[in-house]
Amino acid sequence: MSPLFLLWAIRGSSFVPDKYLLTVCAVMLVLPNLFLGLRIRAAIGANDKREIAVAVAEDHRDHLLVYLFSMLLPFYAAELRNERDVAAVLVALAFIVFLFWHLNLHYMNVLFAAMGYRVFSVSPPPASNALSGRSGLVVITRRPVLVSGERLIAYRLSDTVYFER
Amino acid sequence: MPLAFDLQSVTVTEFGVGRDEEEEQSFTLVPVDTSVQTALGEMARDTWSAMEELDEAPPEYEPSEKHASSEYLVVPFASGLATALRQLHQAENLPLSAAALSDPRDVFCYFTRMTDGAGRRLTAVRRATQFKGVLQSRGLMRFIDDALQIIEESVLRLDSDFDLLVDSDTVHILRPSGFEFVGQLQDAVLAAAPTNVKAVRKDLHFVDFTAIEGYATKHPRAARYLASIVAQNATKDISKSALKAQCKRTGVDVGESKGKITVDEGQVMGFLQVVDRRRYHLELVKGTPESFVAGSRRKLGS
Repeated sequence: MSPLFLLWAIRGSSFVPDKYLLTVCAVMLVLPNLFLGLRIRAAIGANDKREIAVAVAEDHRDHLLVYLFSMLLPFYAAELRNERDVAAVLVALAFIVFLFWHLNLHYMNVLFAAMGYRVFSVSPPPASNALSGRSGLVVITRRPVLVSGERLIAYRLSDTVYFER
Repeated sequence: MPLAFDLQSVTVTEFGVGRDEEEEQSFTLVPVDTSVQTALGEMARDTWSAMEELDEAPPEYEPSEKHASSEYLVVPFASGLATALRQLHQAENLPLSAAALSDPRDVFCYFTRMTDGAGRRLTAVRRATQFKGVLQSRGLMRFIDDALQIIEESVLRLDSDFDLLVDSDTVHILRPSGFEFVGQLQDAVLAAAPTNVKAVRKDLHFVDFTAIEGYATKHPRAARYLASIVAQNATKDISKSALKAQCKRTGVDVGESKGKITVDEGQVMGFLQVVDRRRYHLELVKGTPESFVAGSRRKLGS
Protein backbone atom coordinates (compact mmCIF):
# COMPACT_ATOMS: atom_id res chain seq x y z
CA MET A 1 0.00 0.00 0.00
CA SER A 2 2.99 2.31 0.37
CA PRO A 3 3.05 3.46 -3.28
CA LEU A 4 -0.61 4.49 -3.03
CA PHE A 5 0.07 6.73 -0.04
CA LEU A 6 3.15 8.12 -1.78
CA LEU A 7 1.01 9.06 -4.80
CA TRP A 8 -1.68 10.59 -2.57
CA ALA A 9 0.94 12.62 -0.74
CA ILE A 10 2.35 13.95 -4.02
CA ARG A 11 -1.05 14.67 -5.50
CA GLY A 12 -2.58 16.32 -2.41
CA SER A 13 -6.25 17.03 -1.78
CA SER A 14 -8.40 20.15 -1.93
CA PHE A 15 -10.39 18.93 1.07
CA VAL A 16 -7.78 17.48 3.47
CA PRO A 17 -5.11 20.00 4.54
CA ASP A 18 -1.58 19.01 3.57
CA LYS A 19 -0.34 18.86 7.16
CA TYR A 20 -2.81 16.05 7.94
CA LEU A 21 -2.63 14.29 4.59
CA LEU A 22 1.17 14.33 4.48
CA THR A 23 1.42 13.11 8.08
CA VAL A 24 -0.98 10.21 7.49
CA CYS A 25 0.67 9.33 4.18
CA ALA A 26 4.16 9.46 5.74
CA VAL A 27 3.07 7.22 8.61
CA MET A 28 1.38 4.74 6.26
CA LEU A 29 4.42 4.80 4.01
CA VAL A 30 7.00 4.22 6.72
CA LEU A 31 5.23 2.18 9.38
CA PRO A 32 4.40 -1.03 7.44
CA ASN A 33 7.85 -1.15 5.85
CA LEU A 34 9.49 -0.41 9.18
CA PHE A 35 7.50 -3.23 10.78
CA LEU A 36 8.45 -5.57 7.93
CA GLY A 37 12.11 -4.60 8.24
CA LEU A 38 12.05 -5.18 11.99
CA ARG A 39 10.32 -8.53 11.51
CA ILE A 40 12.98 -9.66 9.03
CA ARG A 41 15.69 -8.46 11.39
CA ALA A 42 14.10 -10.26 14.35
CA ALA A 43 13.77 -13.50 12.34
CA ILE A 44 17.44 -13.32 11.31
CA GLY A 45 18.50 -12.41 14.86
CA ALA A 46 16.58 -15.34 16.34
CA ASN A 47 17.81 -17.65 13.57
CA ASP A 48 14.13 -18.44 13.01
CA LYS A 49 14.80 -20.65 9.99
CA ARG A 50 12.92 -23.56 8.57
CA GLU A 51 13.56 -26.16 5.91
CA ILE A 52 10.88 -26.03 3.22
CA ALA A 53 10.28 -28.82 0.73
CA VAL A 54 8.95 -27.73 -2.65
CA ALA A 55 6.37 -29.92 -4.36
CA VAL A 56 4.82 -27.41 -6.77
CA ALA A 57 5.84 -23.74 -6.88
CA GLU A 58 3.96 -20.97 -8.67
CA ASP A 59 5.59 -17.65 -9.48
CA HIS A 60 3.22 -14.81 -8.54
CA ARG A 61 4.59 -11.87 -10.48
CA ASP A 62 1.07 -11.53 -11.88
CA HIS A 63 -0.03 -10.55 -8.38
CA LEU A 64 1.75 -7.25 -8.91
CA LEU A 65 -0.68 -6.57 -11.75
CA VAL A 66 -3.57 -7.51 -9.45
CA TYR A 67 -2.15 -5.06 -6.95
CA LEU A 68 -1.78 -2.34 -9.57
CA PHE A 69 -5.28 -2.68 -10.99
CA SER A 70 -7.14 -3.39 -7.78
CA MET A 71 -5.54 -0.74 -5.64
CA LEU A 72 -3.28 1.79 -7.24
CA LEU A 73 -5.29 2.88 -10.27
CA PRO A 74 -8.80 3.12 -8.74
CA PHE A 75 -7.65 4.86 -5.59
CA TYR A 76 -5.28 7.17 -7.35
CA ALA A 77 -8.15 8.29 -9.59
CA ALA A 78 -10.50 8.84 -6.64
CA GLU A 79 -11.09 12.51 -5.81
CA LEU A 80 -11.13 13.57 -2.14
CA ARG A 81 -13.42 16.62 -2.36
CA ASN A 82 -15.58 16.28 0.73
CA GLU A 83 -16.21 14.18 3.85
CA ARG A 84 -18.22 11.59 1.93
CA ASP A 85 -15.40 11.05 -0.59
CA VAL A 86 -12.91 10.54 2.23
CA ALA A 87 -15.27 8.17 4.07
CA ALA A 88 -15.94 6.18 0.87
CA VAL A 89 -12.21 5.86 0.13
CA LEU A 90 -11.47 4.75 3.69
CA VAL A 91 -14.21 2.11 3.62
CA ALA A 92 -13.09 0.88 0.20
CA LEU A 93 -9.49 0.82 1.44
CA ALA A 94 -10.47 -1.23 4.51
CA PHE A 95 -12.36 -3.63 2.28
CA ILE A 96 -9.37 -4.06 -0.05
CA VAL A 97 -7.03 -4.59 2.93
CA PHE A 98 -9.41 -7.24 4.28
CA LEU A 99 -9.53 -8.98 0.88
CA PHE A 100 -5.75 -8.97 0.50
CA TRP A 101 -5.38 -10.40 3.98
CA HIS A 102 -8.13 -12.96 3.45
CA LEU A 103 -6.68 -14.09 0.08
CA ASN A 104 -3.21 -14.32 1.63
CA LEU A 105 -1.89 -11.55 -0.65
CA HIS A 106 -0.64 -9.41 2.24
CA TYR A 107 2.97 -10.27 1.38
CA MET A 108 2.77 -8.17 -1.83
CA ASN A 109 5.40 -5.52 -1.49
CA VAL A 110 6.78 -3.35 -4.26
CA LEU A 111 10.11 -2.99 -2.42
CA PHE A 112 10.65 -6.75 -2.60
CA ALA A 113 10.00 -6.67 -6.34
CA ALA A 114 12.35 -3.69 -6.76
CA MET A 115 15.11 -5.59 -4.95
CA GLY A 116 14.77 -8.56 -7.30
CA TYR A 117 12.76 -10.85 -5.07
CA ARG A 118 10.06 -13.09 -6.45
CA VAL A 119 7.09 -14.49 -4.61
CA PHE A 120 6.27 -18.17 -4.93
CA SER A 121 3.31 -20.12 -3.62
CA VAL A 122 4.67 -23.49 -2.55
CA SER A 123 2.25 -26.39 -2.45
CA PRO A 124 2.81 -29.17 0.08
CA PRO A 125 4.20 -32.54 -1.02
CA PRO A 126 1.72 -35.29 -1.99
CA ALA A 127 -0.12 -36.88 0.94
CA SER A 128 2.16 -39.93 1.14
CA ASN A 129 3.12 -38.98 4.70
CA ALA A 130 0.22 -38.30 7.06
CA LEU A 131 2.32 -35.93 9.19
CA SER A 132 3.42 -33.63 6.36
CA GLY A 133 1.85 -30.18 6.28
CA ARG A 134 -1.21 -29.74 4.08
CA SER A 135 -1.22 -25.93 3.87
CA GLY A 136 0.53 -23.98 1.15
CA LEU A 137 3.37 -21.59 2.05
CA VAL A 138 4.55 -18.35 0.50
CA VAL A 139 8.28 -18.04 -0.17
CA ILE A 140 9.95 -14.71 -1.03
CA THR A 141 13.25 -15.46 -2.71
CA ARG A 142 15.72 -14.17 -5.30
CA ARG A 143 15.74 -17.53 -7.08
CA PRO A 144 14.26 -17.34 -10.58
CA VAL A 145 12.58 -20.74 -10.27
CA LEU A 146 11.78 -23.26 -7.56
CA VAL A 147 12.08 -26.80 -8.82
CA SER A 148 9.85 -29.61 -7.57
CA GLY A 149 11.68 -31.71 -4.98
CA GLU A 150 14.00 -28.83 -4.06
CA ARG A 151 14.60 -27.98 -0.42
CA LEU A 152 15.37 -24.50 0.75
CA ILE A 153 16.10 -22.86 4.06
CA ALA A 154 14.17 -19.66 4.72
CA TYR A 155 13.47 -17.26 7.57
CA ARG A 156 9.96 -17.23 9.02
CA LEU A 157 8.12 -13.91 8.66
CA SER A 158 4.79 -15.44 9.66
CA ASP A 159 3.48 -18.99 9.96
CA THR A 160 2.81 -19.03 6.20
CA VAL A 161 5.24 -16.47 4.74
CA TYR A 162 8.98 -17.22 4.50
CA PHE A 163 11.90 -15.16 3.28
CA GLU A 164 15.10 -16.49 1.74
CA ARG A 165 18.02 -14.05 1.85
CA MET B 1 28.18 -47.26 14.59
CA PRO B 2 28.57 -43.82 12.98
CA LEU B 3 25.86 -41.17 12.96
CA ALA B 4 24.82 -40.15 9.43
CA PHE B 5 24.80 -36.50 10.46
CA ASP B 6 27.40 -33.88 11.37
CA LEU B 7 26.47 -32.45 14.77
CA GLN B 8 29.14 -29.77 14.40
CA SER B 9 27.69 -28.17 11.25
CA VAL B 10 24.02 -27.71 12.03
CA THR B 11 22.41 -25.08 9.80
CA VAL B 12 18.75 -25.36 10.82
CA THR B 13 17.24 -26.38 14.16
CA GLU B 14 13.48 -26.84 14.35
CA PHE B 15 11.61 -27.66 17.53
CA GLY B 16 8.22 -29.32 17.84
CA VAL B 17 5.87 -31.24 20.07
CA GLY B 18 3.78 -34.36 19.69
CA ARG B 19 0.28 -33.97 21.05
CA ASP B 20 -2.50 -36.39 21.90
CA GLU B 21 -5.63 -35.22 20.14
CA GLU B 22 -9.12 -36.65 20.26
CA GLU B 23 -8.66 -39.29 17.59
CA GLU B 24 -4.97 -39.37 16.83
CA GLN B 25 -1.55 -37.93 17.60
CA SER B 26 -0.29 -34.83 15.83
CA PHE B 27 3.15 -33.25 15.47
CA THR B 28 3.49 -29.47 15.30
CA LEU B 29 6.53 -27.19 15.07
CA VAL B 30 6.86 -24.36 17.58
CA PRO B 31 9.09 -21.31 16.87
CA VAL B 32 12.13 -21.09 19.17
CA ASP B 33 14.93 -18.55 19.47
CA THR B 34 18.69 -19.12 19.31
CA SER B 35 19.06 -19.92 23.02
CA VAL B 36 16.63 -22.85 22.76
CA GLN B 37 18.24 -23.96 19.49
CA THR B 38 21.63 -23.99 21.23
CA ALA B 39 20.20 -26.02 24.13
CA LEU B 40 18.66 -28.52 21.71
CA GLY B 41 22.00 -28.87 19.90
CA GLU B 42 23.76 -29.56 23.22
CA MET B 43 21.12 -32.16 24.11
CA ALA B 44 21.67 -33.95 20.78
CA ARG B 45 25.47 -33.92 21.24
CA ASP B 46 25.15 -35.21 24.84
CA THR B 47 22.83 -37.98 23.65
CA TRP B 48 25.32 -39.07 21.01
CA SER B 49 28.21 -38.95 23.51
CA ALA B 50 26.22 -41.11 25.95
CA MET B 51 25.51 -43.63 23.19
CA GLU B 52 29.17 -43.82 22.16
CA GLU B 53 30.23 -44.38 25.76
CA LEU B 54 27.72 -47.19 26.25
CA ASP B 55 28.49 -49.33 23.24
CA GLU B 56 30.60 -48.95 20.10
CA ALA B 57 28.85 -51.85 18.36
CA PRO B 58 25.25 -51.60 19.55
CA PRO B 59 22.98 -54.63 19.25
CA GLU B 60 19.71 -54.42 17.40
CA TYR B 61 16.59 -53.67 19.42
CA GLU B 62 14.37 -56.70 19.98
CA PRO B 63 10.75 -56.11 21.01
CA SER B 64 10.65 -59.25 23.16
CA GLU B 65 13.81 -58.42 25.11
CA LYS B 66 13.85 -56.84 28.57
CA HIS B 67 16.16 -53.89 28.17
CA ALA B 68 17.96 -51.72 30.69
CA SER B 69 16.67 -48.19 31.26
CA SER B 70 19.64 -46.77 29.35
CA GLU B 71 21.09 -48.96 26.65
CA TYR B 72 22.42 -48.09 23.20
CA LEU B 73 20.39 -50.10 20.69
CA VAL B 74 19.68 -49.62 17.02
CA VAL B 75 16.78 -50.27 14.67
CA PRO B 76 17.27 -50.14 10.88
CA PHE B 77 15.45 -47.14 9.41
CA ALA B 78 13.42 -49.37 7.08
CA SER B 79 12.25 -51.70 9.87
CA GLY B 80 8.55 -52.01 10.60
CA LEU B 81 9.36 -51.19 14.24
CA ALA B 82 10.49 -47.71 13.16
CA THR B 83 7.34 -46.84 11.21
CA ALA B 84 6.08 -44.02 13.46
CA LEU B 85 9.54 -42.45 13.82
CA ARG B 86 10.29 -42.85 10.11
CA GLN B 87 7.09 -40.98 9.36
CA LEU B 88 8.09 -38.14 11.67
CA HIS B 89 11.62 -38.02 10.25
CA GLN B 90 10.42 -37.91 6.65
CA ALA B 91 7.50 -35.50 7.16
CA GLU B 92 7.88 -32.34 5.06
CA ASN B 93 6.69 -28.83 5.92
CA LEU B 94 5.30 -29.86 9.30
CA PRO B 95 2.55 -27.48 10.44
CA LEU B 96 3.82 -24.65 12.64
CA SER B 97 1.92 -23.03 15.50
CA ALA B 98 3.02 -21.25 18.66
CA ALA B 99 -0.34 -22.23 20.14
CA ALA B 100 0.67 -25.92 20.15
CA LEU B 101 1.90 -25.40 23.72
CA SER B 102 -1.28 -23.76 24.94
CA ASP B 103 -2.14 -26.91 26.91
CA PRO B 104 1.12 -28.74 27.72
CA ARG B 105 -0.81 -31.58 29.37
CA ASP B 106 -1.59 -32.87 25.85
CA VAL B 107 2.09 -33.00 24.94
CA PHE B 108 3.43 -36.58 24.97
CA CYS B 109 6.82 -35.87 23.42
CA TYR B 110 8.98 -33.09 22.10
CA PHE B 111 11.45 -33.29 19.26
CA THR B 112 14.00 -31.38 17.27
CA ARG B 113 14.77 -31.70 13.58
CA MET B 114 18.18 -30.53 12.49
CA THR B 115 19.75 -30.09 9.06
CA ASP B 116 23.52 -30.20 8.65
CA GLY B 117 25.78 -28.51 6.11
CA ALA B 118 25.38 -31.44 3.70
CA GLY B 119 21.59 -31.19 3.83
CA ARG B 120 21.20 -34.35 5.93
CA ARG B 121 18.49 -34.48 8.55
CA LEU B 122 18.56 -35.65 12.16
CA THR B 123 15.44 -36.08 14.27
CA ALA B 124 15.82 -36.33 18.04
CA VAL B 125 12.86 -37.22 20.24
CA ARG B 126 12.23 -37.15 23.99
CA ARG B 127 9.24 -38.44 25.87
CA ALA B 128 7.64 -35.51 27.69
CA THR B 129 7.91 -36.13 31.41
CA GLN B 130 9.85 -33.19 32.87
CA PHE B 131 8.32 -31.02 30.19
CA LYS B 132 4.89 -31.57 31.73
CA GLY B 133 5.92 -32.36 35.31
CA VAL B 134 7.57 -29.08 36.09
CA LEU B 135 4.48 -27.18 35.10
CA GLN B 136 2.48 -29.07 37.68
CA SER B 137 5.00 -28.59 40.48
CA ARG B 138 5.36 -25.46 42.59
CA GLY B 139 8.98 -26.03 43.44
CA LEU B 140 10.68 -23.99 40.76
CA MET B 141 12.55 -21.00 42.15
CA ARG B 142 14.99 -18.34 41.04
CA PHE B 143 17.22 -15.83 42.78
CA ILE B 144 15.90 -12.29 42.81
CA ASP B 145 17.72 -9.75 45.01
CA ASP B 146 19.61 -12.50 46.87
CA ALA B 147 16.39 -14.29 47.81
CA LEU B 148 14.74 -17.33 46.32
CA GLN B 149 11.30 -16.78 44.91
CA ILE B 150 8.76 -19.14 43.39
CA ILE B 151 8.47 -18.66 39.63
CA GLU B 152 4.84 -17.87 38.95
CA GLU B 153 4.95 -18.02 35.15
CA SER B 154 4.45 -21.24 33.21
CA VAL B 155 7.82 -22.85 32.63
CA LEU B 156 8.73 -25.65 30.26
CA ARG B 157 11.85 -27.57 31.10
CA LEU B 158 14.01 -29.35 28.57
CA ASP B 159 15.79 -32.52 29.66
CA SER B 160 19.53 -33.08 29.50
CA ASP B 161 19.37 -35.45 26.52
CA PHE B 162 17.03 -37.19 24.07
CA ASP B 163 15.65 -40.74 24.19
CA LEU B 164 16.63 -41.44 20.60
CA LEU B 165 18.15 -40.02 17.44
CA VAL B 166 16.97 -40.81 13.92
CA ASP B 167 19.23 -40.36 10.89
CA SER B 168 18.67 -41.48 7.32
CA ASP B 169 19.89 -45.05 8.02
CA THR B 170 19.19 -45.91 11.63
CA VAL B 171 17.15 -45.21 14.73
CA HIS B 172 19.71 -44.86 17.54
CA ILE B 173 18.05 -45.62 20.87
CA LEU B 174 19.37 -44.48 24.23
CA ARG B 175 16.25 -45.27 26.28
CA PRO B 176 14.31 -48.29 25.00
CA SER B 177 11.20 -47.35 27.02
CA GLY B 178 11.16 -43.92 25.33
CA PHE B 179 11.46 -45.57 21.92
CA GLU B 180 8.60 -47.95 22.72
CA PHE B 181 6.39 -45.12 23.92
CA VAL B 182 7.09 -42.55 21.23
CA GLY B 183 7.35 -45.16 18.48
CA GLN B 184 3.94 -46.53 19.51
CA LEU B 185 5.59 -49.92 19.52
CA GLN B 186 2.78 -51.83 21.19
CA ASP B 187 0.30 -50.74 18.52
CA ALA B 188 2.89 -51.39 15.81
CA VAL B 189 3.69 -54.97 16.87
CA LEU B 190 0.01 -55.82 17.37
CA ALA B 191 -0.84 -54.45 13.94
CA ALA B 192 2.13 -56.28 12.42
CA ALA B 193 1.23 -59.65 13.97
CA PRO B 194 -0.60 -61.05 10.89
CA THR B 195 2.27 -59.94 8.61
CA ASN B 196 4.83 -61.43 10.97
CA VAL B 197 2.93 -64.72 11.13
CA LYS B 198 2.96 -64.79 7.34
CA ALA B 199 6.72 -64.23 7.31
CA VAL B 200 7.43 -66.98 9.86
CA ARG B 201 4.99 -69.38 8.20
CA LYS B 202 7.15 -69.38 5.04
CA ASP B 203 10.01 -71.02 6.94
CA LEU B 204 7.96 -73.07 9.43
CA HIS B 205 5.48 -74.46 6.91
CA PHE B 206 5.08 -77.52 9.13
CA VAL B 207 3.41 -75.46 11.89
CA ASP B 208 -0.32 -74.64 12.00
CA PHE B 209 -0.34 -70.92 12.90
CA THR B 210 -4.12 -70.49 13.22
CA ALA B 211 -4.18 -70.35 17.04
CA ILE B 212 -0.88 -68.43 17.20
CA GLU B 213 -2.13 -65.68 14.88
CA GLY B 214 -5.42 -65.33 16.77
CA TYR B 215 -3.59 -65.08 20.09
CA ALA B 216 -0.84 -62.72 18.93
CA THR B 217 -3.21 -60.14 17.47
CA LYS B 218 -4.76 -59.70 20.94
CA HIS B 219 -1.78 -60.14 23.26
CA PRO B 220 1.08 -57.62 23.01
CA ARG B 221 3.68 -59.92 24.62
CA ALA B 222 3.04 -62.66 22.05
CA ALA B 223 3.07 -60.05 19.28
CA ARG B 224 6.45 -58.85 20.58
CA TYR B 225 7.85 -62.41 20.46
CA LEU B 226 6.64 -62.72 16.88
CA ALA B 227 8.20 -59.38 15.89
CA SER B 228 11.43 -60.44 17.55
CA ILE B 229 11.46 -63.80 15.73
CA VAL B 230 11.00 -62.05 12.39
CA ALA B 231 13.67 -59.42 13.19
CA GLN B 232 16.21 -62.15 14.02
CA ASN B 233 15.61 -63.79 10.65
CA ALA B 234 16.67 -67.15 12.11
CA THR B 235 13.74 -69.42 11.35
CA LYS B 236 15.13 -70.77 8.11
CA ASP B 237 16.19 -74.42 8.29
CA ILE B 238 14.57 -75.06 11.70
CA SER B 239 13.75 -78.74 11.58
CA LYS B 240 10.37 -80.03 12.61
CA SER B 241 11.83 -82.79 14.78
CA ALA B 242 14.27 -80.43 16.56
CA LEU B 243 11.46 -77.98 17.25
CA LYS B 244 9.20 -80.68 18.64
CA ALA B 245 12.01 -82.06 20.78
CA GLN B 246 12.86 -78.63 22.22
CA CYS B 247 9.17 -78.02 22.99
CA LYS B 248 8.96 -81.35 24.79
CA ARG B 249 12.18 -80.72 26.78
CA THR B 250 11.01 -77.29 27.94
CA GLY B 251 7.48 -78.30 28.83
CA VAL B 252 5.53 -76.91 25.89
CA ASP B 253 2.70 -79.25 24.88
CA VAL B 254 2.26 -79.31 21.15
CA GLY B 255 0.24 -81.73 19.06
CA GLU B 256 0.28 -82.82 15.44
CA SER B 257 -2.50 -82.92 12.91
CA LYS B 258 -2.28 -83.67 9.19
CA GLY B 259 1.50 -83.45 9.34
CA LYS B 260 1.54 -80.03 11.01
CA ILE B 261 2.49 -79.05 14.54
CA THR B 262 -0.57 -77.68 16.34
CA VAL B 263 -0.39 -75.32 19.31
CA ASP B 264 -3.23 -74.73 21.78
CA GLU B 265 -3.92 -71.16 22.87
CA GLY B 266 -2.54 -71.92 26.33
CA GLN B 267 0.79 -73.04 24.85
CA VAL B 268 1.31 -70.21 22.36
CA MET B 269 3.59 -68.15 24.62
CA GLY B 270 5.79 -71.16 25.41
CA PHE B 271 6.00 -72.13 21.74
CA LEU B 272 6.96 -68.60 20.69
CA GLN B 273 9.59 -68.50 23.46
CA VAL B 274 11.13 -71.65 22.04
CA VAL B 275 11.28 -70.21 18.51
CA ASP B 276 12.58 -66.90 19.92
CA ARG B 277 15.45 -68.84 21.58
CA ARG B 278 14.56 -67.83 25.12
CA ARG B 279 13.22 -71.09 26.61
CA TYR B 280 16.02 -73.31 27.88
CA HIS B 281 16.53 -76.74 29.33
CA LEU B 282 19.42 -77.61 31.62
CA GLU B 283 20.42 -80.67 33.57
CA LEU B 284 23.46 -79.61 35.57
CA VAL B 285 22.40 -81.84 38.43
CA LYS B 286 21.98 -85.34 37.10
CA GLY B 287 18.35 -86.46 37.29
CA THR B 288 17.11 -82.92 37.96
CA PRO B 289 16.12 -81.38 34.63
CA GLU B 290 15.33 -77.66 34.77
CA SER B 291 13.67 -75.34 32.26
CA PHE B 292 14.04 -71.54 32.19
CA VAL B 293 12.64 -68.59 30.33
CA ALA B 294 15.17 -65.83 29.68
CA GLY B 295 13.79 -62.31 29.89
CA SER B 296 16.99 -61.10 28.31
CA ARG B 297 19.59 -63.05 26.34
CA ARG B 298 22.54 -62.43 24.12
CA LYS B 299 23.94 -64.78 21.51
CA LEU B 300 27.43 -66.02 22.32
CA GLY B 301 30.19 -66.52 19.80
CA SER B 302 29.96 -65.52 16.15
